[in-house]
Amino acid sequence: MIPQSHFLILGAVLFATGLYGALTRRTAIGILMSIELILNAANINLITFNKFLGGPDSLGQVFALFVMAIAAASAVIGLVLVIAVYRNMKTIFTENMNIMKW
Amino acid sequence: MNGLIRQLSDIVNNYGLPQDFVVQASFYVLAGLACAFAFGVVAMRNIFHCAVSLALCLFCVAGVYLFLNAEFLAIAQVIIYVGAIVTLFLFAIMLTANIKDRSIRQANRQVLVSACVTAAILSFFIYIITGNAWKTPAPGAAVLAGPGLDDIGRALMSAYALPFEFISLILLAALVGAIVIGKVKK
Repeated sequence: MIPQSHFLILGAVLFATGLYGALTRRTAIGILMSIELILNAANINLITFNKFLGGPDSLGQVFALFVMAIAAASAVIGLVLVIAVYRNMKTIFTENMNIMKW
Repeated sequence: MNGLIRQLSDIVNNYGLPQDFVVQASFYVLAGLACAFAFGVVAMRNIFHCAVSLALCLFCVAGVYLFLNAEFLAIAQVIIYVGAIVTLFLFAIMLTANIKDRSIRQANRQVLVSACVTAAILSFFIYIITGNAWKTPAPGAAVLAGPGLDDIGRALMSAYALPFEFISLILLAALVGAIVIGKVKK
């Protein structure tokens, strides 16, 4: 029997890794991939608490499904924005995307 | 302990290995691989390799879901994330970045600060997680069974019907928005 804390630590490590990537990456695609890692960490926590506290209730798994749908939507919108910015400005680096900055 | 893992450990048990040991060892191997691939996502220089590493990491996380009575979510994770989202990432990388150029600096100048902040947050989380006495379910078989696929489907269509419809609206809006933003204007 694997204790609950080990699943939670796995989620925390994935979250920290994704946070580090989102803070340090220069490319928007790298930041989006890190955000996917963070959403996966949230999913691990939801399913863990559902298993250890929920029992036959399925609330955690249902909301993990919702998180997956949100992740898919955010990835689609983020990537299409990256492609649109690349087409207009010929750059993939976030520090060059400053035309909306005053 | 769910059906798939139990069957797997039954097979292993025929070869004389203890069941709990095999289940625990496979969990820790999967978790370690997930962490290693996640580190590859944020640390590798070639962003194409990062996307492949992300696919492998998400695959390992899907394996971890199997230990949490979530077979349906494991399959959905493989289909949605590995099948769709990572493929989308690969397409976007091939459409934008010059992946052959390995001399591009991938990290910005805040690496040290970010590492310190992240390490502080992670150690805080681990301190909280290990210091808390988590409520464990009573050692009954009924509690450990977990929800099945029919429970999830029934919950989606009855109790959580409103969030479900809302999510479908968000997905539709994302699809239409992606087409509108990505369209080449003449």
